[in-house]
Amino acid sequence: MDADGRRLTAPALRGRRGAPGRGGALGRGAGWALAAGVPLLFLGVFFAWPVVALVGRGFLADGGTVAGGVDLSGFRDVLTSPRTWRLVGLTLGQAAAGSAASVLLGLPAAYVLYRCRFPGRTLVRGLVTVPFVLPSVVVGVAFSALLQPGGLLGWAHLEETFLAVVLALVFFNYAVVVRTVGGLWERLDPRAEQAARALGASPWRAFRTVTLPALAPAIASAAAVVFLFCATAFGVVLVLGGIRYGTIETEIWTRTTQFLDLRTAAVLSVLQLVVVAGALAVSSRARARREHALDLQPERAAAQPLDLRRAPDAVAATVTALTVAGLLLLPLAGLVLRSFRAADGTWGLDNYVALGTTGGRNALVVTVWEALATSLRTAVLAAVIAVVVGGLVALVVSRRPRARAARRAVGVLDAVFMLPLGVSAVTVGFGFLVTLDRPLGLDVDLRTSGLLVPVAQAVVAVPLVVRTVLPVLRAIDPRLREAASVLGAAPGRVLRDVDLPVALRSLGLAIGFAFAVSLGEFGATSFLARPDAATLPVVIFRLIGRPGAENYGMALAASVVLAVLTAAVMMLAERLRGDRLGAAGGEF
Amino acid sequence: MGLRVRDAVVRYEGTTAVGGVSLDVADGEVLALLGPSGCGKSSLLRAVAGLEPLAAGGVAFDGQDLAGVPVHRRGFGLLFQDGQLFAHRDVAGNVAYGLETARVPRAERRERGRELLELVGLAGYERRAVSTLSGGERQRVALARALAPRPRLLLLDEPFSALDRGLRERLAVEVRAILTRTGTTAVFVTHDHDEAFTVADRVAVMGAPEPGGAGSGPRASDVAGTAAEDDAAGRSSGGVLLQVAAPEELWRAPASRRVARFLGYQAFVPLAGPEALPGSDGPGGAGRDGWLAVGPAGLRVLPPDVSEPRWGTAHPGPDRPGGGGAAGGWTGEAVGSVFRRGRTEVTVDVDLGAGVQRLAAVLDGAAGTAGTGAPAPGDKVTVALDPAGCAVVRG
Repeated sequence: MDADGRRLTAPALRGRRGAPGRGGALGRGAGWALAAGVPLLFLGVFFAWPVVALVGRGFLADGGTVAGGVDLSGFRDVLTSPRTWRLVGLTLGQAAAGSAASVLLGLPAAYVLYRCRFPGRTLVRGLVTVPFVLPSVVVGVAFSALLQPGGLLGWAHLEETFLAVVLALVFFNYAVVVRTVGGLWERLDPRAEQAARALGASPWRAFRTVTLPALAPAIASAAAVVFLFCATAFGVVLVLGGIRYGTIETEIWTRTTQFLDLRTAAVLSVLQLVVVAGALAVSSRARARREHALDLQPERAAAQPLDLRRAPDAVAATVTALTVAGLLLLPLAGLVLRSFRAADGTWGLDNYVALGTTGGRNALVVTVWEALATSLRTAVLAAVIAVVVGGLVALVVSRRPRARAARRAVGVLDAVFMLPLGVSAVTVGFGFLVTLDRPLGLDVDLRTSGLLVPVAQAVVAVPLVVRTVLPVLRAIDPRLREAASVLGAAPGRVLRDVDLPVALRSLGLAIGFAFAVSLGEFGATSFLARPDAATLPVVIFRLIGRPGAENYGMALAASVVLAVLTAAVMMLAERLRGDRLGAAGGEF
Repeated sequence: MGLRVRDAVVRYEGTTAVGGVSLDVADGEVLALLGPSGCGKSSLLRAVAGLEPLAAGGVAFDGQDLAGVPVHRRGFGLLFQDGQLFAHRDVAGNVAYGLETARVPRAERRERGRELLELVGLAGYERRAVSTLSGGERQRVALARALAPRPRLLLLDEPFSALDRGLRERLAVEVRAILTRTGTTAVFVTHDHDEAFTVADRVAVMGAPEPGGAGSGPRASDVAGTAAEDDAAGRSSGGVLLQVAAPEELWRAPASRRVARFLGYQAFVPLAGPEALPGSDGPGGAGRDGWLAVGPAGLRVLPPDVSEPRWGTAHPGPDRPGGGGAAGGWTGEAVGSVFRRGRTEVTVDVDLGAGVQRLAAVLDGAAGTAGTGAPAPGDKVTVALDPAGCAVVRG
């Protein structure tokens, strides 16, 4: 072969070789700026602006105009009120108790479900995940059905107690701990623990001194996230806490809707933001450490068969079985059971038949089925918006730019998009009403367009989409992109050929999360949905607020419908994620 | 023509990885970049590929400056340590990737892929999922993938270091054959000198620059000078080239004791009268005529019957220090011995003129090859130099 013969003769190849990028760096920079700019614009218009406007209104004297001057007396009034501190105490106490209990109960389950093998493990894993995506109103209804006099646990007199709220919060967040800690535990190299055992450590000592420290970042991260969810829980507390128990979030809702006391609500919003920012800071630090730890142990360790003759396995399995049966299955079973009992005490499908009506004494403007259709339409739109915005954020945040300033900007972007998790959805919803009558000075009233509800729900769902897609993108070895690049793939093509196939695997789950969150969103929606376009959670809340056994029965039946729908969506999403793309079994 | 690197400097935040390297690779030549881990050889390779920006200096190929040419337009191939195959594509899909980006027609792609898989010994593997391949097979696929678009230059970044020893040695020979057969110009980064000698036409030894440049070889000090200028902050000044030579020449005449030590030379005997020696092998301790570097097989334990008459010759004669293993000899103390590769290697504590050192020596005679009759720990033994296993080092 002569020197020229071994060169590829395709003219396309020759022409491209050695050609400087046509404004390559500049074009790439513009591309990334666009990818970061679109989500930032979205967040600015649909989150920052409404929230700031609403909070600002509380601080501005004289009807909320800047001309009236700033009035900070609200701070003094609210912060000196004993009621405020009682609510702050309740919020923190409930969040602390909820996250502590979730971690304590979740650890054994993480071991059993991710470190042991037994028949039906996949089923139990799925079962554990279901409560996390259930709409908060449904959980509230399920627990109140269980705890109220005449319920399965009516004899315990737990209705409208602190304990009831905490139990419901654990029900919700158990899966967060199990999945977060289990995910790391599954990848932990078992040989470290084996080395400790060989050095004479008892199983308990080896666990305490070797495994537990290795799991600590995941536990801290999960605890912080659960704390956050507990501290901002709304629907559950509103339904279960009754009039005696409340949190900052429910108080904001009460202040704005019942008393139109924006001043107090604004101060409380700021207060909540402080609490939330603290929890977010802890969780992001823990997360950074965890992702670092994952780098060290990319291999998936083999799970041992569950052996009930061994004491650790037996204890963990017992705790897990009791938790799953008593805390997760019982409320759901109770809800389903009660939904079949009609107002007159007979059993049957009466409650479900009633879903086609507008309830006793016309409690509703639309039938429950119509509300369901509205919910689905809204959720589709919200999921599309959330996945586009969240996907872009995840893509930008997954990069590690060379320049330090750019890296810091990426970190800030990451943190900023977690904020919607922590800001009261009530604040967001009410802020929409205040600001979006003429968005950006445009002469369109978004409030009547029907777009407001899906947009608000998307704002709430974006953080979850980011959290789902981001770890997957970050797990891509940068050298894989470099390999494609060296083989002649332009930056856009690298994105298409390397990032996209990997991201698609998590996109199914992200869509599912966004859809489920949107289906169950209550805080913001309760403000924004017009009565004739109410979504299912709003309808359920309205039904339990109205007198009449018939309405309560309808609320139970509607809750079952919503729960089944949400669970089905999540199951489908997990299926969509499937492992058909990567034969490697899901790990990169 | 070929690759031309001039005064290349690569910096990461605060540290300099490559401190001014100049290098030429001729068309069709295979050059090995050899050095200990952390000497900047991979950074230099990545800079050539366009994956790291150059802080100073330049890279050109066939006379064309590559500054501003993005990675994907350089027409180079790169082979990573762990392959970095695309998990969502099968073997053929991986091999064809570079041809797809070059818009080569499908039929040609398939033909070329088949040809390459045959070349790397994986004929018929087209439809296999990459997750089903062994480590060695993955690297072969990665090699086929890198070669498929006929790169102008192939860059190999420690391509075998994740594999076990036997496979590593076999693959090194195969890669050499493949590179020669396809006439591929290549730069091969490794920390293993055996591997470098197997694969490369020429070997470039890289390392951190000598402190102050003193004691380094003439070639190295040229380069080290550039590095010293760049290193205004006085922090880690980055790797430089210590010597570039063909394998035989490198082995026969290492430019400095550092290069020799890295190649596996285990001790240095000053080529001057003992009275001229301060007794250490520090930079100031060079003999007038340089050093005799003792290679891994440069020292022999004389069989007891030969050494017996020479008991008491504790030090080499003043006229010819260490010269001629048969004539001279040193008495040392055996520490232990191993039998490997068909001969006995004795670990000996011995003073060759630079203090007592623990060295390896080959046991001569029938006792050595039989693996019996090795000296027991504590035995006095006589060692002598084997000129065939030694080299003269000036610096």
